[in-house]
Amino acid sequence: MGDATNAGAMHALLLNLVLWLPLAGALALALLPRLTDQAVRTGTTVLLAVQCVPAFLLYGAFDAAAPGGQFATSIPWIADWGVSYHIALDGTNLLLVVLTAFLGPLVVLGAWTAIATQVRLFHALLLLLQCAMVGALVAQDLFLFYLFWEAMLIPMFLMIGIWGGARRRYATVKFVLYTAFGSILMLAAVLVLVLARADGAGGALSFAFADLLAAPAPAALQPWLFAAFALAFAIKVPMVPLHTWLPDAHVEAPTPGSVILAGVLLKMGTYGFLKLGFPLFPDAVRAHVPLFMTLAVVSIVWGACLAMVQQDIKKIIAYSSVSHLGYVMLGLLSNDLAGVQGAVVQMASHGLVAAGLFLLVGMVYERGHTRELAAYGGLARQAPAYALAFVLFTLASVGLPGTSGFTGEFLVLLGAFAGAWPRYQAGDALPLALAVAATSGVVLGALYMLRFARTFLFGPVKAPHDTPLTDLTPRERGVLAVLFAAVLWLGLFPAGAMHKTEGAARLYLRQLAPAAAVTTVTPAIPSAGAAYAR
Amino acid sequence: MPGSDALWAMLPEHLLLGGMVAGILCALSTRTRALVLPLSMLVVAASAVAAFWLAATGVHAEPFPGQYQLTPAIAQAKGWLLALALPVLLLLRLDSDDLQFPLLLVCSLYGVALLPSAMNALVLFLGLELLAIPVYALIVLAFRRPQAAEAALKYLILSGTGSALFLMALSLLYGATGSLGLDAMGAAAASADPLARGAVLLALVALFLKGGVVPFHAWAPDTYEGASVPVTAYLSTLAKAAVLVVALRLFGDVTLPAAATDLMAVLPLASIVWGNLAAIRQPSLRRMLAYSSISHAGYLFYAFLGAPGGRDEAVLTYLVVYALATLLAFAMLPADADDGRRDRLDQLDGLFHRRPWAAAGMTVAMLSLAGLPPLPGFTVKFAVFKTVVAAGHPVWATLGLAASFLGLYVYLRVIMRMFMQPAPDHAETPAVPAVPGTGQAVAAGLLCVAATLALTVAPGWLFAQF
Repeated sequence: MGDATNAGAMHALLLNLVLWLPLAGALALALLPRLTDQAVRTGTTVLLAVQCVPAFLLYGAFDAAAPGGQFATSIPWIADWGVSYHIALDGTNLLLVVLTAFLGPLVVLGAWTAIATQVRLFHALLLLLQCAMVGALVAQDLFLFYLFWEAMLIPMFLMIGIWGGARRRYATVKFVLYTAFGSILMLAAVLVLVLARADGAGGALSFAFADLLAAPAPAALQPWLFAAFALAFAIKVPMVPLHTWLPDAHVEAPTPGSVILAGVLLKMGTYGFLKLGFPLFPDAVRAHVPLFMTLAVVSIVWGACLAMVQQDIKKIIAYSSVSHLGYVMLGLLSNDLAGVQGAVVQMASHGLVAAGLFLLVGMVYERGHTRELAAYGGLARQAPAYALAFVLFTLASVGLPGTSGFTGEFLVLLGAFAGAWPRYQAGDALPLALAVAATSGVVLGALYMLRFARTFLFGPVKAPHDTPLTDLTPRERGVLAVLFAAVLWLGLFPAGAMHKTEGAARLYLRQLAPAAAVTTVTPAIPSAGAAYAR
Repeated sequence: MPGSDALWAMLPEHLLLGGMVAGILCALSTRTRALVLPLSMLVVAASAVAAFWLAATGVHAEPFPGQYQLTPAIAQAKGWLLALALPVLLLLRLDSDDLQFPLLLVCSLYGVALLPSAMNALVLFLGLELLAIPVYALIVLAFRRPQAAEAALKYLILSGTGSALFLMALSLLYGATGSLGLDAMGAAAASADPLARGAVLLALVALFLKGGVVPFHAWAPDTYEGASVPVTAYLSTLAKAAVLVVALRLFGDVTLPAAATDLMAVLPLASIVWGNLAAIRQPSLRRMLAYSSISHAGYLFYAFLGAPGGRDEAVLTYLVVYALATLLAFAMLPADADDGRRDRLDQLDGLFHRRPWAAAGMTVAMLSLAGLPPLPGFTVKFAVFKTVVAAGHPVWATLGLAASFLGLYVYLRVIMRMFMQPAPDHAETPAVPAVPGTGQAVAAGLLCVAATLALTVAPGWLFAQF
């Protein structure tokens, strides 16, 4: 008994460590006198690698059978308002927290030479951003969540604006104004939501997720509140037609900025939908499923079409993110266990694959100093190791079986069809049509990625400025190898991760189900998904 | 015993008065002239401590029945206001050889200290005038620049107009209700008598004029620009706070009629929108902060849409955080011999490369003013809009929040200048002689940064204060 309490306290401490260690590092970088650039990079890498240790330990200790948040710390913070410092891990944020910690040291290592000026400031901002991202993921209190959510803005704003490309200022202002606009309307909705719940609960304010999720908002308010939350999250995802900030931000951002943006920040939008946006307003969501499903499928197809015609190598990957995150949204809306679990896996998978692709693009940009696709060719002969890595990550992005991309997209499509079939039999053909259209995204994805790889890697040898491109350094090889190992792990052995997140996915489906309906959410076909997972 | 009440309950005021007299005596002799500034700081600090001490003793006193009262909440508010004057005094740079400055400031603070205790509209008027009259002189003190006289004149005329309107409102109030007590305004707001309605309307207009709310704001940018930096800091923080304290005394517990509610929403909303939009185009930091203060006046008056009882907390916490951020911004201005030049926004270009700590401090100030989490500027804005939503005005709250979005760009622009621009050729050069008082400005900045960060970590503590 005593041991269990001790272990619980220990684990809660570890979670706090994951959250606050980067902030401590940022403070150290700000205050320590006379650090060389190398020392700053090494220190940041070591610190972020240390941050991974408790994150992995907590992943191992996470109990798939236990309901609700684990390793929780809950301390009253602004007592008058019922705001508490409440953090915990649960099935929705577990994979993303591990992903964020895992990408941390790889980002610094992978972009070791990409940042040459004001190295100390850059790494301090990177650490601040890391803290804010973990905080937004582990927060179990709406006020705390909003704090961390907004705190992610400024470090990214400075990263793009200081170290970005030629149009960096335009891109960074667009990024901040776009995302802040959504957040500010969400803030109004947060206030209305919390005060409406307090009215129903005898006046006591509470921002705790658990309290807010337990009592759905009044039906008359739900559409408005849902609209505000959905706008904030949809901008972050981003869903078509709110995606126009993304290509600019991605293209202008320095390599590590792009990696974090694609690897973690975009997932904040889908995580927001999974954790809050959909479960808080089940009635409004059910009324708007067709609209959101359509938008998700439009994102998949339109993102893929846009990726196909880009001449800028970063833009191709940026638009492919729009397409891949469309799958996540589709899975979340599929009303099917396989679909939701697929969405959760797809979030982690896209984090790994997009991070790898942006690192690869950054590495070639450091050598060639241009992002024009036409300037490159025949990299397979100039830099064979690079070409191999590029092919591997491309295949993962396309969804080759055995890679994480396959697990995610397959389960999402499976879920989409499984959810659409009963509706089709009931006379509603739209979900089925959308599922079919979404499948075309897989083909389109293969088209643009393989076209990209073909012109880039094969064909006549071309290099900007006619200086042959050098191959990957051992440091770069190591980073990409570790990253791809994770892609394979999630592709070949998804059962562990899916088992740990299954409880959360079931809970999510129960939250969305109509109150009167019988809560059986595992009809025949999704069990195929579960069977695949084992 | 009334006599000892007058002694103890008014201790902060007595200290200020004593400091004023002692300061004037010190100023007479060349040997003691150097003591005036430290003495003023000491006196202001002592009176703030006295106010906090009175709050801690749980004092309930009414030394002048019906005129002046002290409760722990009032003493607490008084203590915070006086404490905020310390960074203003520390901000003295060029003007430190002008002994009038600290003396006049202490003089003006006497008016500030009086306001939270006022139980009668006439005492409020007295406090406002005590506050304003030294400020006219303070603005002219920056006589090295021709704008100073213009600024002082504008402030004199418009503040005078505000006072006249306020007096007119009081006479109407007395005519309608036969009383000048604070509850008279509540009675007037509830009555249908045109005389009483006129009193409420005129009082609101007077407060909007003095607080710089659109459309009565036009004096603020010119005045802020013409005055010297510490005086501008005083005008935009404590002078504004004083107006809000008067508003709280008069309208803090008043249930506003529907028509007045709309007035209380539309004009502050216009203030937020216009203040934020106009701030984008300003070439100097002082003009920018002037428009920023116009938009913040909007947020502050927005709190009056909330239910009676919750307004004090929302307004006072907002004032503290807003004042800290504004003072921090002024403290971080590059030191330069020319008061007009150092205030140009392009002086901030590339500041991070030259003086990283000043840039970091300015960034904290800007983010707090913009209301971005996790800085306390967000928490207090949240508190204001929370009271507005709780009172059943979610649409006004949403509009206000959407308007605050406009302000984001204003403050981000300053951050972009400091971090993303190369330094201009004519930026401060080592040739510029060291400016006396720079160390003090650093101290003021540290004070404000420490307080702002402390309130970031423990916002609940601030809300427990009021």
